[in-house]
Amino acid sequence: MSKIGTKAWCMILAGAFLLCLGAGFLLLKLPGGTVANVYRDGELIWSVDLAKVTAPFEKSFTDESGTNTLFVEPGRISMSFADCPDLVCVNTGTISNGAMPIVCLPHRLAVRIEKTGADPFDGVAQ
Amino acid sequence: MNRHTNGSYKKLNKASVAALVTAALLSAALLCSGCGSKSAAAPSAAPAAAGSESAGAAAQTVPGGAVVSGGVSVDKTDPHTRTVYAMDTVMDLTIYGGDDSILQEAEELILSLERRLSVTDPESEMYALNRAGTLQVGAETASLLRTALEICESSGGALDITIRPIMKAWGFTEDAQRVPSPALIEELLKKVDYRKVTVGADNTVTMEEGVEADLGCITKGYCSDRVLQLFAERGIKSAIVNLGGNVQTLGTKVNGSLWRIALIDPFGNGYAGMVTVENKAVITSGGYERYFVEDGVTYHHIMDPKTGSTARTGLSSATVVTDRGVRGDGLSTALFVLGAEGAADLWRARGDFEMVLITDGGDVLITPGLKDSFTLLDSYMGKEVRIIE
Repeated sequence: MSKIGTKAWCMILAGAFLLCLGAGFLLLKLPGGTVANVYRDGELIWSVDLAKVTAPFEKSFTDESGTNTLFVEPGRISMSFADCPDLVCVNTGTISNGAMPIVCLPHRLAVRIEKTGADPFDGVAQ
Repeated sequence: MNRHTNGSYKKLNKASVAALVTAALLSAALLCSGCGSKSAAAPSAAPAAAGSESAGAAAQTVPGGAVVSGGVSVDKTDPHTRTVYAMDTVMDLTIYGGDDSILQEAEELILSLERRLSVTDPESEMYALNRAGTLQVGAETASLLRTALEICESSGGALDITIRPIMKAWGFTEDAQRVPSPALIEELLKKVDYRKVTVGADNTVTMEEGVEADLGCITKGYCSDRVLQLFAERGIKSAIVNLGGNVQTLGTKVNGSLWRIALIDPFGNGYAGMVTVENKAVITSGGYERYFVEDGVTYHHIMDPKTGSTARTGLSSATVVTDRGVRGDGLSTALFVLGAEGAADLWRARGDFEMVLITDGGDVLITPGLKDSFTLLDSYMGKEVRIIE
């Protein structure tokens, strides 16, 4: 009984391990892309194609709730500064795929890497 | 052995089921925890798709904007759009709220302005003026002429409403471009001088013999001013029009956010930058719009009234951000002709507009008023933006 129980637990652990591997694989394969889209209150306010970034630069977003500064690098992006109280967004670190967004809840700001930027412009002056 | 084996298999099957169930529970817990960490942030800040975000934003930010009519929800800020073909260009009009009758009015207004201000329509006031030399015009045309002349004056003639003979010689008025002879240009330049046009108090316009006035340099900007004025009078609070690349906005977007207007890269690589605006016209002039190449030399359509030839002052594009379309339209051409230094002088002298200049070398210069609203895009990202003092 106890021998069978051990086998069963082995199977359980093996299954769990395989599923963890699968889940990890799925997470890495989440819809991603090269475009970092910045949303405020759910609305797209800025986009940058990280594949086209050739030199690092900073981009700040300020509204009445405060300021967030993104550090944009070739292929990746991070929140380098925020004057929010919890700094969760800054502590998220650098992202380079769509697996996880950078979110600043106090400032209602989110940065997601997606396949394309929905057209972020209302008009084009030319 | 068989029995034992069979028994083991039975028990192993049970174990397998238990393993699968446990694993399923584990994976569900894993996935839920993963989603949970995201969904904790996502609902308010970052839903998965941009489309659903917009919808969510609209629903959240315009409470009371939706009404129910006959069981169908009708949003009072629904967009209505219309494309108008006029003034040799395509015009896109979008209003948020209202109905199509307002756009119909706008289209009629545009067409009526075209009929009145065209220099090629035999029925137009401007056509008649250019034939007669002296003519009492309507108050609106007279006012527009005064506005144009004011910009001509303040720009030191960089904008000149009498440039038409030169434009004709280069073939830009009929899409049959050619390089005119220096002798012809010299001869035609004698007729190019905005100071040879005067508008009297009784709206009588007087021009010296052989001079032709053309308001084409500000007509689209004036048109967008009038269209947005019409929208406002009809109760529209949010609208955007694009008249052949001249963008002008009314208010903010329906959710209160600023309009995002991209500036085209004059070198043809996507966008150079973006400005966020409210109640502004964003108008760009650049040599990339209309040009031809002859003997390896590129000639574009923005003429320097001083030389009678393609303006070459080191700028590839000049964008004006200002309250009035008519001002933006005229000034963007003037800035392009003036070059960076002259444009900066004009900005200091007038103080009623902001600007983005892109030089032939790809450098970007902006005025301080755009410091917080201008963003570089595409291949310009990472470049230094020079703030004009």
